[in-house]
Amino acid sequence: MSKDKAQVVATMARSQAKDAIEMIDLCKSFGNFHAVDHLSLTVKQGEIFGLLGPNGSGKTTTINMISGLSTPTSGEVRVFGYDVRHDARRIRQVLGAVPQETALYEELTAWTNLDFHADLFGIPRKEKKERITRILELVQLLDRKDSRVGTFSGGMKRRLALGRALLHNPELIYLDEPTLGVDIQARRAIWDYILLQRGQGKTVLITTNYLEEAQALCDRLAIIDHGKLIAVDTPEHLKQTYGGSVIELETEIPTTALDQMRAIDGVKDVKQDGRHLTITTRGISNVVPQIINIISQEGELRDLAVREPNLDEIFLQLTGTDLRD
Amino acid sequence: MIQRMLYNGRVIWACMKKDIKSALTERVFTIISVFLPLNFLILLSLFVVSGGLAPTAVVMQDTGPYAQQFYNAMAHAHSFALQRDSASQAEQLITAGRIVAVVTIPPDFDARIQSNQPVQVNVKINNLNTDFTNDIRRAVPLSITTFYAKAFPNVVSITTSEHDFYQQDTGYIPYLTVSILVIALVMSGLLQAGTASAREWENATMKELMLSPASRWAIVIGKMLGSFALSLIAVVVVLAVLIFIIGVYPVHWGEVIGFTALTMLIFIAWGTLLGTLIKQSQAFIALAFGTALPLFFLSGAFGPISFNTQAIQVIAQIFPVYYAIVLQQHAFHNFTLNTYGLGTNILVLCAYALGLVILAAIVLRRSTVAN
Repeated sequence: MSKDKAQVVATMARSQAKDAIEMIDLCKSFGNFHAVDHLSLTVKQGEIFGLLGPNGSGKTTTINMISGLSTPTSGEVRVFGYDVRHDARRIRQVLGAVPQETALYEELTAWTNLDFHADLFGIPRKEKKERITRILELVQLLDRKDSRVGTFSGGMKRRLALGRALLHNPELIYLDEPTLGVDIQARRAIWDYILLQRGQGKTVLITTNYLEEAQALCDRLAIIDHGKLIAVDTPEHLKQTYGGSVIELETEIPTTALDQMRAIDGVKDVKQDGRHLTITTRGISNVVPQIINIISQEGELRDLAVREPNLDEIFLQLTGTDLRD
Repeated sequence: MIQRMLYNGRVIWACMKKDIKSALTERVFTIISVFLPLNFLILLSLFVVSGGLAPTAVVMQDTGPYAQQFYNAMAHAHSFALQRDSASQAEQLITAGRIVAVVTIPPDFDARIQSNQPVQVNVKINNLNTDFTNDIRRAVPLSITTFYAKAFPNVVSITTSEHDFYQQDTGYIPYLTVSILVIALVMSGLLQAGTASAREWENATMKELMLSPASRWAIVIGKMLGSFALSLIAVVVVLAVLIFIIGVYPVHWGEVIGFTALTMLIFIAWGTLLGTLIKQSQAFIALAFGTALPLFFLSGAFGPISFNTQAIQVIAQIFPVYYAIVLQQHAFHNFTLNTYGLGTNILVLCAYALGLVILAAIVLRRSTVAN
């Protein structure tokens, strides 16, 4: 089977899959502050789902409600059909969590951390040793099993935290900023482990500030801002629906006809950086000739390129703010 | 049901083991927390020893039988640490600040007593310390009365008939050291449990516990057992010093063990509760010292609280340290320091223990991690 065909089959399978997480009109308020504001979302079994939003947008509060660490002010959350208010313990049994701060005991060894986790999750004693060994092998830390976690690099700690989350074989894995502060090599390794989980039929929920990461990993993305759902779709559909096109231009001299360009039907935004222009459009059919016409009245056009917008630009367009603001 | 119990047992054991391992990685803190209560024992014992008897030189310018009897009366006044010196030696010592007073028995002491003439005994006091000064001012007249009662029984017509409540007197050190045992239990319990809880918040590892399906009861009990095991080392050291070095033998061994365990439980639960609320080790340690020491001084450590004012008694009885001291004094010396009876004192401590364990589990809510 070709790679494309396999992807289509996997997408179809996911569309028929049951819901892993259902959020219905979910709200969480702290006094007058609405951290999550009437959020309704569904995450299908077996998909990697990304929650995208700037700091303070309500991602972590949403995840806290899913894991039972926080009680919703109103609305409902169901994980594999279990209501988070009444079956929080069952939900935690099927949930593997990698919190942003890793929550590892740095004064203890890697093995002791996993051994403790195995006891907390009631992994059968007979299987414990074998499972810990297998997980340490998977995250390539078996040779450091007796080293204190405090001596590990940021990437190693993330890998160990991920291994710990997988130890009790959870159906749902959530990763809060899984590659925050790790180098590119370690980031790649973590992405591979995450993709491996999808291959094994697990559901993965990710919060991230890295759009590149969201694009590389997520089957679907939800963009949230100020606790509200802005958009939810696959990365490709998001680009098609909200993106339009981006025209990059290099002129001979800095143009003074910006207002003229902004007045063209189909142009959403024009940004100038010296002789460089970035024009965001809703479509390019009639826009490009008109732009060329305006530029040529002032001077020579040196370069022109039309490309798809990236997620950063879509995010900016949807929320009016940069992701890392 | 049985499976659930077995699982909870495993969580308790795992939390206990983990906390002990974590604490043992912080060797300096563990050593300090073990020897800190012992340090209290030594420090307060030294305080008592240094403040007990006033070092006093007696210049015996007369060595007759009456002068000797007067010296003996002073020796039994329970206030002086006497030494005989010449006038010049005594002067040197008081000038050097090594003695509190010089008592000079004049050369004609016996002759004047025999002839019923007044005798002047010179007392030179280094009144730098009011406490010692007052001891001397009280003890010299007492010695004169005792001298007359022994030397001329017919002259002193008032006598006392003493009926002791207990078979034997108890020294200040044996009384105080039992109270110090209680402060050792307070300090070691608070420090171990409080820092173990605060550490989970400081290192953000509380999330690992709260995201597991384990019940918070099992987690709290496991953590408390870990602190119990670590505190036990400090308590055993203090008990060993108390019994085998200071020589304070308990009258009721069973009570010592039971009351010690009960007191440890209370202060471990208290530490767990405060550590969870404060969430910072350093702030917690400052609070532990800041509260434990005043409580100790307030709760009848140096003598029965019933000898104090009504207000102090009411305040002292709010806190469990008071009941713990009452019970330990009974266990070691068979003393009855209040009229509530042993059972009521035990019940009060049990209520504290239960209440604090429940509170410690309640404050460990999952929502506190999220916020």
